[in-house]
Amino acid sequence: MSTEAIFNLAEALGRVDEDEDLLYTLAELFVEQAPLDMAAARAALEAGDAAALARAAHRMKGALLQFSAPRVLAGISQLEALGKAGTLDQATTVCAHVDQELQTLITALREYAAKRPAV
Amino acid sequence: MNPEISSTQPATHVSHAPATILLVDDEPVSRLSMAARLKRMGLRVLEAGNGKEGLEILRRERPDLTILDWVMPEMDGPTVCELVRRDPAILSSQLILMTSHDQPEQIAEGLARGADDFLSKAASKQEILARVQSGLRTASLLQSIESARDQLRAKQEQMEDELLSAAGYMHSLLPRAGEVAPGIHMSWTYRPSLALGGDLFNCSRWDDRSIMFYILDASGHGVSPALRAASFATFLRAENLRHFVTANDPAAILAEANRHYPLTEEGYYFTVWIGSFDRTTHQLRYATAGHGGAVIQRRNGTIEWLTHAHLPLGFEPESTYELKTTQIEDGDRVILMSDGVYEAPAATGEVWGTERLAATLGALRSTALSDVLPAMMAEAERWHGASIFPDDAALLGLEFRI
Repeated sequence: MSTEAIFNLAEALGRVDEDEDLLYTLAELFVEQAPLDMAAARAALEAGDAAALARAAHRMKGALLQFSAPRVLAGISQLEALGKAGTLDQATTVCAHVDQELQTLITALREYAAKRPAV
Repeated sequence: MNPEISSTQPATHVSHAPATILLVDDEPVSRLSMAARLKRMGLRVLEAGNGKEGLEILRRERPDLTILDWVMPEMDGPTVCELVRRDPAILSSQLILMTSHDQPEQIAEGLARGADDFLSKAASKQEILARVQSGLRTASLLQSIESARDQLRAKQEQMEDELLSAAGYMHSLLPRAGEVAPGIHMSWTYRPSLALGGDLFNCSRWDDRSIMFYILDASGHGVSPALRAASFATFLRAENLRHFVTANDPAAILAEANRHYPLTEEGYYFTVWIGSFDRTTHQLRYATAGHGGAVIQRRNGTIEWLTHAHLPLGFEPESTYELKTTQIEDGDRVILMSDGVYEAPAATGEVWGTERLAATLGALRSTALSDVLPAMMAEAERWHGASIFPDDAALLGLEFRI
């Protein structure tokens, strides 16, 4: 899968006023942070804690907005909505899907961050 | 640097120092992105990772604007807003709530809980810039208002201190109650309508044979009448009057005073009543310029008003004043008063009046003079329904044991 399909680099750069160095830093930070948030979402789901699931999804949503990654954003928004509604039976499937999409995004962002010129 | 940002940024803040923004967000990616954007706008950015920490920094650093994430551990954004609005030291802080919520009811809740504005996490850079500038503009205006308010308070305190100091001086011009001359006891009570009153009175020995006493009322309220009253009281000192008159003659003193104190350009004037008591003949001689508040209460309780119609001072330069006399007997009391006492209005507007005053005085005939005057003031207060009268209220009493 190409980088452009999972996140829109041009849009993401536009959001940071073409500050590529900042976008590299944001990508590195996301690659570290997102697995922790996803783990928190999975743990909440396993514990049947709908509110905690909604909180974890909400937190990821804020970070995802920085990368113009519409597919992962749609999935995570759905997960947040299910958590808020307390309908955890559907959330398991959505969570697995989001997890998969997220891994793709993390891989893409890791590849992007690796292009950062050495200082 | 983006020219749009650099050209508009200076207008957002009055001082030359960059405005300070506190950014409170637990999510590091979006916080870093927003912080970078704000720094590019030329702003100083402080960061906090949760509401509790943000509130501490807000109290300590007093940023010009605070941007708060809605959902945060420890303390969420709306709770921070509520706590800020309850704290008098920081309640005027400008607060923008930021979230990926964008439903109208959530925006309404954020505003109701104390936020000044709302910013979506998906907002464009143009919208972020516009909202931050709007918040800083409001913060700058509020700071100007608070600064002006603080200056006004400081000036007000300074003026009140000066007024108290002036009131202290006015108080020093009033006589000491007690025995003025053998067998003549004096008492008084005074309630200015403001810190500084325009009524003054005194009672002093003219020479070994006679005493002089008076009450004056400068028209108007506040500093100017008080200053004019102080000037007139200085004029009425015996050692000064001897430069102008040869005898303790109230009518001659009033004629001289009339020349010295013409009507002011603003139309202010004095009313005054002056009495002279001869300790050998026991004769009271008196004259008045428009002052109606003087009464003698005989030992048997009979009340006679020691007044007659005459213009106040200053209306006609060559005015002369009628000298009246009455004989004082042992046990008689003379009470001088300003019109603020008997013209004290009830809630209906009806004044207390000289008849009610005389009846009160009659009821107090067997009471000690030093208790009579406060009791009369209390009765006027009861009629008025409040402790502060609309006009200065003064009572001076003399009791003759001769």
